[in-house]
Amino acid sequence: MGKSKSIGLLLFAFLAFTAAGVSGCKGGGTSASSSAPHALADEPNVTFRDLQGNNVPLASLKGKVVLVNFWATWCEPCRGEIPILINLQKEYSGKGFTLLGAAMDEEGAKVVQPYVQSTQFNVGGQPQTMNYPIVLGTDAITDKFGGLLGMPTSFLISRDGKIVKKYMGGINETQIKKDVESQL
Amino acid sequence: MNSVTTSGRLLALCALALMAALGGNTQAQEATPLAPAQVVKTHAYASLDPVPRGKDFQVAVVVDINQAYHMNSHKPSDSYLIPTTITPQLPPGFILVDTAYPAGHDKKFPFSPDKPLNVYSGTVTLRLKLTAQSSAPLGTVTIPMTLRYQACNNSACLPPVKVPVSIEFKVAAAGTASHPAHPEVFSATGSSGN
Repeated sequence: MGKSKSIGLLLFAFLAFTAAGVSGCKGGGTSASSSAPHALADEPNVTFRDLQGNNVPLASLKGKVVLVNFWATWCEPCRGEIPILINLQKEYSGKGFTLLGAAMDEEGAKVVQPYVQSTQFNVGGQPQTMNYPIVLGTDAITDKFGGLLGMPTSFLISRDGKIVKKYMGGINETQIKKDVESQL
Repeated sequence: MNSVTTSGRLLALCALALMAALGGNTQAQEATPLAPAQVVKTHAYASLDPVPRGKDFQVAVVVDINQAYHMNSHKPSDSYLIPTTITPQLPPGFILVDTAYPAGHDKKFPFSPDKPLNVYSGTVTLRLKLTAQSSAPLGTVTIPMTLRYQACNNSACLPPVKVPVSIEFKVAAAGTASHPAHPEVFSATGSSGN
């Protein structure tokens, strides 16, 4: 009886710690990491503003595979992955995919607009500006995605509006292409 | 007998599983990124004790940066990067003569393998040169300051943050004898990070 109680207590403690570990891992690390490639959650009901001030509900992209990329003009690792994002948009936008770059700059469109218009990125040896839709992110929006621990952070959303993968830190081109293709 | 052995084994298995779970959780906590304001620890020092009215003195803000992180120097590599700054909110009776920032060091990162970035890491000391005017309040004075920085680790960046720092020191009448304080901080040429 005493042993049964001990076993019961240990099992309870194990389950409690395991659960704590799982919830503790939810946020992941800042090293370039990604969570499991299965549906994590429904996409949040959020509405971004584009650089002209128009509303862009995330739900309006339902039917497309969407990569929401949270970035900022001051974020060097974000800048480093933009050529990959440009390539993704080039390669898959005709196949039911779109990128959505959500800029987290506090100053908003005032700083993001000129950056988007004038910054040239080296894409396969060719200078190119960002070729995908840019919107403005807010803390309220990122909270609905579960909060950001750093940038860049990206979320891959399936055609039916499920978050299927979260990427923290710079993305790997081979991996992201594989993931996008698996959703198309 | 057999059931006791089985119970014992199950108990041991549970204990091992618990230890594994504990170990795993610790690793997860280590990997969890810091909040932006947790990246640094700051200490502020005044160069004179007390500071006589009419004298110039220095305030040093020593910034210990978490070893997994770096922050842009005061003169970062590109204009779009956010520089580290220290800004005092001076009470009446004090003048800011100069703010001296250490030079950063150029370092390449996995996300910027070709272009080195000018950053601070490790411990850096920012210095403010101040004048206590004849109207400076006598007695204990606190000067609040704001340290602004934007930190990254090797793969991701934290949002820019403003961290409050303050220095407390004594102001005495003009001509009062005073002695240099914290020579270990002020005799150094100024840290420039690792």
